[in-house]
Amino acid sequence: MSLSFTLNGQPCTIAAPDHWTVLDLLRDGLGLMGTKYGCGEGVCGTCTVLADGRSIRACLVLAAHARGRVLVTVEGLQADGRLDPLQTSFAERGAAQCGYCTPGIMLAAKALLLENPAPTEHEVREALSGNLCRCTGYTKIIEAVLAVAGPR
Amino acid sequence: MRLHPFRLVEPDSLAGAIDALGRLDGDARVVAGGTALVALMRLGLVKPDRLVSLHRVPALDEIRIENGSLVLGAMATHADIERARIVRDGWPLLAEAVRRVATPAIRTSGTIGGNLAYAEAASDPAPALLCLDAEVRVVGPRGARAVPVAGFFRGFYEAALEPGEIVSAIRVPAPPAGARGGYVKYTSRSAEDKPLVGVAALVVLDASGRCADIRLALGGAAPTPIRADAAERVLRGEALTDSAVRAAAETAARHADPLSDLMGSADYRRQMIRVWVRRLLVSLRDGPS
Repeated sequence: MSLSFTLNGQPCTIAAPDHWTVLDLLRDGLGLMGTKYGCGEGVCGTCTVLADGRSIRACLVLAAHARGRVLVTVEGLQADGRLDPLQTSFAERGAAQCGYCTPGIMLAAKALLLENPAPTEHEVREALSGNLCRCTGYTKIIEAVLAVAGPR
Repeated sequence: MRLHPFRLVEPDSLAGAIDALGRLDGDARVVAGGTALVALMRLGLVKPDRLVSLHRVPALDEIRIENGSLVLGAMATHADIERARIVRDGWPLLAEAVRRVATPAIRTSGTIGGNLAYAEAASDPAPALLCLDAEVRVVGPRGARAVPVAGFFRGFYEAALEPGEIVSAIRVPAPPAGARGGYVKYTSRSAEDKPLVGVAALVVLDASGRCADIRLALGGAAPTPIRADAAERVLRGEALTDSAVRAAAETAARHADPLSDLMGSADYRRQMIRVWVRRLLVSLRDGPS
Protein backbone atom coordinates (compact mmCIF):
# COMPACT_ATOMS: atom_id res chain seq x y z
CA MET A 1 0.00 0.00 0.00
CA SER A 2 1.06 3.59 -0.57
CA LEU A 3 0.90 5.97 2.38
CA SER A 4 1.05 9.75 2.43
CA PHE A 5 1.45 11.79 5.58
CA THR A 6 3.44 14.68 7.00
CA LEU A 7 6.69 13.72 8.67
CA ASN A 8 8.70 16.24 10.64
CA GLY A 9 7.18 19.10 8.68
CA GLN A 10 7.65 17.59 5.22
CA PRO A 11 5.15 15.75 3.00
CA CYS A 12 6.08 12.09 2.74
CA THR A 13 4.83 9.27 0.51
CA ILE A 14 6.09 5.73 0.90
CA ALA A 15 5.02 2.20 0.01
CA ALA A 16 4.68 -0.18 2.96
CA PRO A 17 3.52 -3.76 3.49
CA ASP A 18 0.10 -4.16 5.11
CA HIS A 19 1.51 -5.60 8.32
CA TRP A 20 3.92 -2.78 9.13
CA THR A 21 3.43 -0.58 12.15
CA VAL A 22 4.38 3.09 12.31
CA LEU A 23 7.61 1.99 14.01
CA ASP A 24 8.52 -0.29 11.06
CA LEU A 25 7.67 2.57 8.72
CA LEU A 26 9.95 5.02 10.50
CA ARG A 27 12.93 2.78 11.14
CA ASP A 28 12.92 0.36 8.21
CA GLY A 29 11.00 2.33 5.60
CA LEU A 30 12.50 5.75 6.23
CA GLY A 31 15.74 5.01 8.06
CA LEU A 32 14.86 7.22 11.02
CA MET A 33 16.52 5.37 13.86
CA GLY A 34 15.76 7.87 16.65
CA THR A 35 12.50 6.10 17.46
CA LYS A 36 13.40 2.94 19.37
CA TYR A 37 11.98 -0.54 19.56
CA GLY A 38 11.58 -1.56 23.18
CA CYS A 39 8.89 -3.96 24.32
CA GLY A 40 6.79 -4.00 21.14
CA GLU A 41 3.62 -4.12 23.24
CA GLY A 42 3.01 -0.47 24.10
CA VAL A 43 4.26 -0.75 27.66
CA CYS A 44 7.74 0.78 27.73
CA GLY A 45 7.16 4.02 25.79
CA THR A 46 10.47 4.23 23.97
CA CYS A 47 8.75 4.20 20.54
CA THR A 48 6.59 7.23 21.43
CA VAL A 49 6.11 9.74 18.60
CA LEU A 50 3.61 12.53 17.99
CA ALA A 51 0.59 12.11 15.73
CA ASP A 52 -1.41 15.30 15.24
CA GLY A 53 0.23 16.72 18.35
CA ARG A 54 -0.59 13.81 20.65
CA SER A 55 1.68 11.00 21.76
CA ILE A 56 1.19 7.55 20.26
CA ARG A 57 2.97 4.23 20.55
CA ALA A 58 4.56 3.66 17.15
CA CYS A 59 4.84 -0.09 17.86
CA LEU A 60 1.07 -0.49 18.24
CA VAL A 61 -0.29 1.79 15.52
CA LEU A 62 -0.61 0.23 12.09
CA ALA A 63 1.31 2.09 9.40
CA ALA A 64 -1.94 2.47 7.43
CA HIS A 65 -3.38 4.46 10.30
CA ALA A 66 -0.69 7.12 9.84
CA ARG A 67 -2.22 8.07 6.50
CA GLY A 68 -2.99 11.79 6.37
CA ARG A 69 -1.63 12.46 9.84
CA VAL A 70 1.09 14.82 11.02
CA LEU A 71 3.91 12.80 12.58
CA VAL A 72 6.83 14.17 14.56
CA THR A 73 9.78 12.03 15.63
CA VAL A 74 12.83 12.99 17.66
CA GLU A 75 14.56 13.88 14.40
CA GLY A 76 11.91 16.58 13.87
CA LEU A 77 12.10 18.24 17.26
CA GLN A 78 14.86 20.62 16.18
CA ALA A 79 13.93 23.40 13.79
CA ASP A 80 16.31 25.32 11.46
CA GLY A 81 19.31 23.68 13.09
CA ARG A 82 18.25 24.81 16.56
CA LEU A 83 17.45 22.25 19.22
CA ASP A 84 14.03 22.25 20.84
CA PRO A 85 14.21 23.76 24.35
CA LEU A 86 13.39 20.30 25.71
CA GLN A 87 16.48 18.86 24.03
CA THR A 88 18.69 21.64 25.39
CA SER A 89 17.22 21.18 28.84
CA PHE A 90 17.82 17.41 28.79
CA ALA A 91 21.42 17.97 27.67
CA GLU A 92 22.15 20.71 30.21
CA ARG A 93 20.73 18.74 33.11
CA GLY A 94 22.14 15.35 32.22
CA ALA A 95 18.65 13.94 31.89
CA ALA A 96 19.85 11.08 29.70
CA GLN A 97 21.95 8.17 30.84
CA CYS A 98 22.06 5.29 28.33
CA GLY A 99 19.67 7.34 26.18
CA TYR A 100 17.44 4.54 24.91
CA CYS A 101 14.29 5.96 26.51
CA THR A 102 15.17 9.59 25.78
CA PRO A 103 13.50 10.12 22.38
CA GLY A 104 10.24 8.62 23.62
CA ILE A 105 10.35 10.61 26.83
CA MET A 106 11.04 13.88 25.02
CA LEU A 107 8.09 13.30 22.70
CA ALA A 108 5.77 12.34 25.54
CA ALA A 109 6.87 15.56 27.28
CA LYS A 110 6.40 17.53 24.05
CA ALA A 111 2.82 16.25 23.75
CA LEU A 112 2.15 17.39 27.31
CA LEU A 113 3.65 20.85 26.76
CA LEU A 114 1.75 21.37 23.50
CA GLU A 115 -1.53 20.87 25.37
CA ASN A 116 -0.51 22.24 28.75
CA PRO A 117 2.45 24.66 28.53
CA ALA A 118 2.65 25.13 32.31
CA PRO A 119 2.21 21.69 33.89
CA THR A 120 2.70 20.90 37.57
CA GLU A 121 5.24 18.29 38.61
CA HIS A 122 2.35 15.88 39.16
CA GLU A 123 1.12 16.47 35.62
CA VAL A 124 4.61 15.86 34.24
CA ARG A 125 4.87 12.60 36.18
CA GLU A 126 1.44 11.54 34.94
CA ALA A 127 2.29 12.38 31.32
CA LEU A 128 5.51 10.37 31.53
CA SER A 129 3.96 7.49 33.48
CA GLY A 130 4.13 5.17 30.48
CA ASN A 131 7.78 5.83 29.65
CA LEU A 132 10.22 3.57 31.42
CA CYS A 133 13.83 4.54 32.09
CA ARG A 134 15.73 1.38 32.95
CA CYS A 135 18.62 3.54 34.24
CA THR A 136 15.98 4.91 36.63
CA GLY A 137 17.11 8.50 36.07
CA TYR A 138 13.65 9.93 36.51
CA THR A 139 14.52 12.83 38.79
CA LYS A 140 16.63 14.71 36.25
CA ILE A 141 14.14 13.90 33.49
CA ILE A 142 11.31 15.50 35.43
CA GLU A 143 13.51 18.48 36.37
CA ALA A 144 14.45 18.93 32.69
CA VAL A 145 10.79 18.99 31.59
CA LEU A 146 9.76 21.34 34.39
CA ALA A 147 12.65 23.67 33.50
CA VAL A 148 11.10 24.41 30.10
CA ALA A 149 7.52 24.61 31.40
CA GLY A 150 6.09 28.10 31.48
CA PRO A 151 5.32 29.92 34.73
CA ARG A 152 1.98 29.02 36.28
CA MET B 1 10.36 -7.81 15.55
CA ARG B 2 7.72 -7.57 12.83
CA LEU B 3 4.12 -8.63 13.11
CA HIS B 4 3.16 -11.87 11.42
CA PRO B 5 2.04 -10.80 7.91
CA PHE B 6 -1.67 -10.19 7.27
CA ARG B 7 -3.74 -8.47 4.65
CA LEU B 8 -5.33 -5.17 5.64
CA VAL B 9 -8.81 -4.26 4.41
CA GLU B 10 -9.92 -0.65 4.81
CA PRO B 11 -13.61 -0.34 3.94
CA ASP B 12 -15.18 3.12 3.84
CA SER B 13 -18.56 2.12 5.27
CA LEU B 14 -19.91 -0.12 8.03
CA ALA B 15 -21.69 -2.19 5.38
CA GLY B 16 -18.36 -2.66 3.64
CA ALA B 17 -16.73 -3.67 6.92
CA ILE B 18 -19.45 -6.23 7.67
CA ASP B 19 -19.07 -7.59 4.15
CA ALA B 20 -15.27 -7.79 4.46
CA LEU B 21 -15.53 -9.50 7.83
CA GLY B 22 -17.98 -12.09 6.52
CA ARG B 23 -15.88 -13.21 3.57
CA LEU B 24 -14.76 -16.83 3.91
CA ASP B 25 -11.13 -16.01 3.47
CA GLY B 26 -9.18 -17.07 6.51
CA ASP B 27 -9.34 -15.67 10.02
CA ALA B 28 -10.34 -12.01 10.04
CA ARG B 29 -10.32 -9.54 12.94
CA VAL B 30 -11.65 -6.03 13.31
CA VAL B 31 -9.00 -3.47 14.22
CA ALA B 32 -9.90 -0.12 15.77
CA GLY B 33 -7.04 1.59 17.65
CA GLY B 34 -4.99 -1.59 17.78
CA THR B 35 -3.75 -1.06 21.33
CA ALA B 36 -5.02 -4.47 22.42
CA LEU B 37 -5.02 -6.42 19.15
CA VAL B 38 -1.58 -5.40 17.89
CA ALA B 39 -0.06 -6.23 21.28
CA LEU B 40 -1.68 -9.69 21.12
CA MET B 41 -0.40 -10.14 17.58
CA ARG B 42 3.09 -9.10 18.63
CA LEU B 43 3.01 -11.78 21.31
CA GLY B 44 1.84 -14.30 18.72
CA LEU B 45 -1.36 -14.98 20.66
CA VAL B 46 -3.48 -14.24 17.59
CA LYS B 47 -2.38 -14.56 13.97
CA PRO B 48 -5.20 -13.26 11.78
CA ASP B 49 -4.98 -13.63 8.00
CA ARG B 50 -6.85 -10.38 7.51
CA LEU B 51 -7.54 -7.24 9.52
CA VAL B 52 -10.59 -5.14 8.79
CA SER B 53 -9.80 -1.57 9.82
CA LEU B 54 -12.60 0.81 10.78
CA HIS B 55 -10.49 3.95 10.32
CA ARG B 56 -11.97 4.90 6.99
CA VAL B 57 -15.59 4.54 8.06
CA PRO B 58 -16.79 8.16 8.28
CA ALA B 59 -18.14 9.67 11.50
CA LEU B 60 -17.55 6.54 13.56
CA ASP B 61 -15.60 8.61 16.08
CA GLU B 62 -18.38 11.12 16.77
CA ILE B 63 -19.23 12.13 20.33
CA ARG B 64 -22.70 13.66 20.47
CA ILE B 65 -25.94 14.01 22.39
CA GLU B 66 -28.97 12.18 21.01
CA ASN B 67 -32.34 12.61 22.74
CA GLY B 68 -30.64 13.36 26.05
CA SER B 69 -28.28 10.39 25.84
CA LEU B 70 -24.59 10.55 25.12
CA VAL B 71 -23.67 8.64 21.98
CA LEU B 72 -20.05 7.64 21.55
CA GLY B 73 -19.07 6.33 18.14
CA ALA B 74 -17.16 3.07 18.50
CA MET B 75 -14.00 4.73 17.14
CA ALA B 76 -14.07 7.61 19.64
CA THR B 77 -10.72 7.44 21.42
CA HIS B 78 -10.27 7.58 25.15
CA ALA B 79 -8.27 10.78 24.60
CA ASP B 80 -11.18 12.42 22.77
CA ILE B 81 -13.77 11.25 25.29
CA GLU B 82 -11.80 12.46 28.33
CA ARG B 83 -11.43 15.90 26.73
CA ALA B 84 -14.96 16.27 25.35
CA ARG B 85 -16.78 19.10 27.11
CA ILE B 86 -20.18 17.36 26.83
CA VAL B 87 -18.79 14.23 28.52
CA ARG B 88 -17.03 16.13 31.30
CA ASP B 89 -20.12 18.21 32.01
CA GLY B 90 -22.88 15.63 31.68
CA TRP B 91 -21.17 12.27 32.31
CA PRO B 92 -18.30 13.09 34.69
CA LEU B 93 -18.10 9.50 35.97
CA LEU B 94 -17.35 8.30 32.46
CA ALA B 95 -14.78 11.05 31.88
CA GLU B 96 -13.09 10.10 35.15
CA ALA B 97 -12.94 6.40 34.27
CA VAL B 98 -11.72 6.93 30.72
CA ARG B 99 -8.97 9.22 32.00
CA ARG B 100 -7.62 6.31 34.03
CA VAL B 101 -7.08 4.02 31.03
CA ALA B 102 -3.38 3.17 30.70
CA THR B 103 -1.18 6.07 29.56
CA PRO B 104 -1.74 9.21 27.46
CA ALA B 105 -0.22 7.57 24.36
CA ILE B 106 -2.46 4.52 24.66
CA ARG B 107 -5.51 6.74 25.15
CA THR B 108 -4.69 8.60 21.93
CA SER B 109 -5.20 5.41 19.93
CA GLY B 110 -7.40 3.15 22.04
CA THR B 111 -11.13 3.39 21.33
CA ILE B 112 -14.19 2.90 23.49
CA GLY B 113 -15.67 0.38 21.04
CA GLY B 114 -12.45 -1.59 21.04
CA ASN B 115 -12.24 -1.51 24.82
CA LEU B 116 -15.70 -3.07 25.16
CA ALA B 117 -15.34 -5.56 22.29
CA TYR B 118 -12.10 -6.80 23.88
CA ALA B 119 -14.26 -7.70 26.91
CA GLU B 120 -11.43 -7.58 29.38
CA ALA B 121 -12.36 -7.95 33.05
CA ALA B 122 -9.90 -5.20 33.96
CA SER B 123 -11.50 -2.53 31.76
CA ASP B 124 -11.59 0.95 33.28
CA PRO B 125 -14.56 2.33 31.31
CA ALA B 126 -16.73 -0.80 31.67
CA PRO B 127 -17.67 -0.39 35.36
CA ALA B 128 -18.64 3.26 34.73
CA LEU B 129 -20.75 2.26 31.72
CA LEU B 130 -22.37 -0.51 33.79
CA CYS B 131 -23.35 2.07 36.44
CA LEU B 132 -24.71 4.37 33.74
CA ASP B 133 -26.88 1.59 32.22
CA ALA B 134 -25.25 2.13 28.84
CA GLU B 135 -26.06 0.05 25.79
CA VAL B 136 -23.85 -1.17 23.00
CA ARG B 137 -25.02 -0.67 19.44
CA VAL B 138 -24.00 -3.52 17.21
CA VAL B 139 -24.30 -3.94 13.44
CA GLY B 140 -23.90 -7.16 11.54
CA PRO B 141 -25.00 -9.24 8.58
CA ARG B 142 -28.48 -9.54 10.08
CA GLY B 143 -28.95 -5.86 10.83
CA ALA B 144 -28.52 -3.63 13.85
CA ARG B 145 -29.31 -4.34 17.49
CA ALA B 146 -28.65 -2.82 20.89
CA VAL B 147 -27.27 -4.82 23.82
CA PRO B 148 -27.26 -3.49 27.39
CA VAL B 149 -23.65 -3.31 28.63
CA ALA B 150 -24.82 -5.52 31.51
CA GLY B 151 -25.45 -8.29 28.97
CA PHE B 152 -22.56 -7.53 26.66
CA PHE B 153 -19.84 -9.42 28.50
CA ARG B 154 -20.47 -13.11 27.97
CA GLY B 155 -17.31 -14.51 29.54
CA PHE B 156 -13.57 -14.23 29.90
CA TYR B 157 -12.50 -11.96 26.99
CA GLU B 158 -15.77 -12.81 25.27
CA ALA B 159 -18.25 -10.17 24.12
CA ALA B 160 -21.81 -10.88 23.03
CA LEU B 161 -20.92 -10.39 19.38
CA GLU B 162 -22.02 -12.89 16.76
CA PRO B 163 -19.69 -13.73 13.86
CA GLY B 164 -19.49 -10.75 11.53
CA GLU B 165 -20.85 -8.26 14.05
CA ILE B 166 -19.15 -4.95 14.83
CA VAL B 167 -19.69 -2.49 17.68
CA SER B 168 -20.84 0.78 16.07
CA ALA B 169 -21.60 3.00 19.07
CA ILE B 170 -22.26 3.16 22.80
CA ARG B 171 -25.36 4.96 24.06
CA VAL B 172 -25.11 6.29 27.58
CA PRO B 173 -28.31 7.57 29.23
CA ALA B 174 -27.98 10.70 31.34
CA PRO B 175 -27.16 9.94 34.97
CA PRO B 176 -30.07 10.43 37.39
CA ALA B 177 -30.54 13.98 38.67
CA GLY B 178 -28.40 14.76 41.69
CA ALA B 179 -26.20 11.69 41.22
CA ARG B 180 -22.71 11.63 42.65
CA GLY B 181 -20.32 9.32 40.92
CA GLY B 182 -16.78 8.14 41.24
CA TYR B 183 -14.28 5.66 39.90
CA VAL B 184 -11.34 4.32 41.88
CA LYS B 185 -8.72 2.01 40.54
CA TYR B 186 -6.22 0.01 42.50
CA THR B 187 -3.09 -1.12 40.71
CA SER B 188 -0.65 -3.48 42.38
CA ARG B 189 2.40 -2.81 40.18
CA SER B 190 2.50 0.69 38.68
CA ALA B 191 0.06 3.58 38.43
CA GLU B 192 -0.66 3.23 34.72
CA ASP B 193 -1.29 -0.52 34.90
CA LYS B 194 -4.60 -2.24 34.36
CA PRO B 195 -6.70 -2.24 37.51
CA LEU B 196 -6.19 -5.12 39.89
CA VAL B 197 -9.62 -3.94 40.99
CA GLY B 198 -11.64 -1.01 39.66
CA VAL B 199 -14.78 0.27 41.37
CA ALA B 200 -17.36 2.64 39.90
CA ALA B 201 -20.37 3.96 41.78
CA LEU B 202 -23.30 6.29 41.21
CA VAL B 203 -25.39 7.30 44.18
CA VAL B 204 -28.41 9.53 44.64
CA LEU B 205 -29.04 10.49 48.25
CA ASP B 206 -32.51 11.68 49.28
CA ALA B 207 -33.15 14.57 51.67
CA SER B 208 -32.57 12.32 54.68
CA GLY B 209 -29.28 11.01 53.30
CA ARG B 210 -30.62 7.62 52.24
CA CYS B 211 -29.67 5.94 48.96
CA ALA B 212 -32.60 6.62 46.63
CA ASP B 213 -30.49 5.13 43.85
CA ILE B 214 -27.25 3.22 44.17
CA ARG B 215 -25.27 1.60 41.41
CA LEU B 216 -22.00 -0.19 41.95
CA ALA B 217 -19.85 -1.98 39.38
CA LEU B 218 -16.49 -3.70 39.47
CA GLY B 219 -13.61 -4.41 37.12
CA GLY B 220 -11.11 -7.17 37.81
CA ALA B 221 -13.53 -8.80 40.22
CA ALA B 222 -14.77 -11.63 38.02
CA PRO B 223 -14.06 -13.08 34.55
CA THR B 224 -15.90 -10.01 33.17
CA PRO B 225 -16.75 -6.54 34.46
CA ILE B 226 -19.81 -6.89 36.71
CA ARG B 227 -22.54 -4.95 38.51
CA ALA B 228 -22.33 -5.59 42.25
CA ASP B 229 -26.09 -6.16 42.58
CA ALA B 230 -26.00 -7.80 45.99
CA ALA B 231 -24.02 -4.91 47.47
CA GLU B 232 -26.44 -2.44 45.87
CA ARG B 233 -29.35 -4.21 47.60
CA VAL B 234 -27.60 -3.83 50.96
CA LEU B 235 -27.52 -0.05 50.48
CA ARG B 236 -30.78 0.73 48.67
CA GLY B 237 -32.93 2.86 50.96
CA GLU B 238 -30.19 2.99 53.58
CA ALA B 239 -27.99 5.85 54.71
CA LEU B 240 -24.29 5.52 53.92
CA THR B 241 -23.28 4.97 57.53
CA ASP B 242 -19.91 3.42 58.25
CA SER B 243 -21.55 0.13 59.14
CA ALA B 244 -23.80 0.07 56.05
CA VAL B 245 -20.83 0.86 53.82
CA ARG B 246 -18.78 -1.87 55.47
CA ALA B 247 -21.61 -4.37 55.02
CA ALA B 248 -21.94 -3.46 51.35
CA ALA B 249 -18.19 -3.77 50.81
CA GLU B 250 -18.16 -7.20 52.49
CA THR B 251 -21.08 -8.27 50.31
CA ALA B 252 -19.36 -7.05 47.14
CA ALA B 253 -16.23 -9.01 48.06
CA ARG B 254 -18.17 -12.15 48.95
CA HIS B 255 -20.20 -12.14 45.72
CA ALA B 256 -17.22 -11.39 43.49
CA ASP B 257 -15.63 -14.18 41.49
CA PRO B 258 -12.07 -12.95 40.99
CA LEU B 259 -9.30 -14.74 39.13
CA SER B 260 -5.63 -15.06 40.06
CA ASP B 261 -3.04 -13.64 37.70
CA LEU B 262 0.33 -11.88 37.70
CA MET B 263 -1.20 -8.76 39.30
CA GLY B 264 -2.51 -10.63 42.31
CA SER B 265 -4.29 -13.68 43.65
CA ALA B 266 -8.05 -14.13 43.76
CA ASP B 267 -7.95 -13.85 47.53
CA TYR B 268 -5.98 -10.59 47.40
CA ARG B 269 -8.44 -9.22 44.85
CA ARG B 270 -11.33 -10.05 47.16
CA GLN B 271 -9.62 -8.15 49.97
CA MET B 272 -8.99 -5.18 47.69
CA ILE B 273 -12.62 -5.16 46.51
CA ARG B 274 -13.67 -4.86 50.14
CA VAL B 275 -11.22 -2.01 50.78
CA TRP B 276 -11.86 0.00 47.60
CA VAL B 277 -15.66 -0.32 47.61
CA ARG B 278 -15.62 1.05 51.14
CA ARG B 279 -13.21 3.89 50.33
CA LEU B 280 -15.18 4.96 47.26
CA LEU B 281 -18.54 4.97 49.04
CA VAL B 282 -17.13 6.91 51.99
CA SER B 283 -15.63 9.50 49.65
CA LEU B 284 -18.95 9.86 47.81
CA ARG B 285 -20.72 10.31 51.14
CA ASP B 286 -18.27 12.83 52.54
CA GLY B 287 -17.58 14.72 49.32
CA PRO B 288 -14.20 15.87 48.09
CA SER B 289 -11.78 16.26 51.00
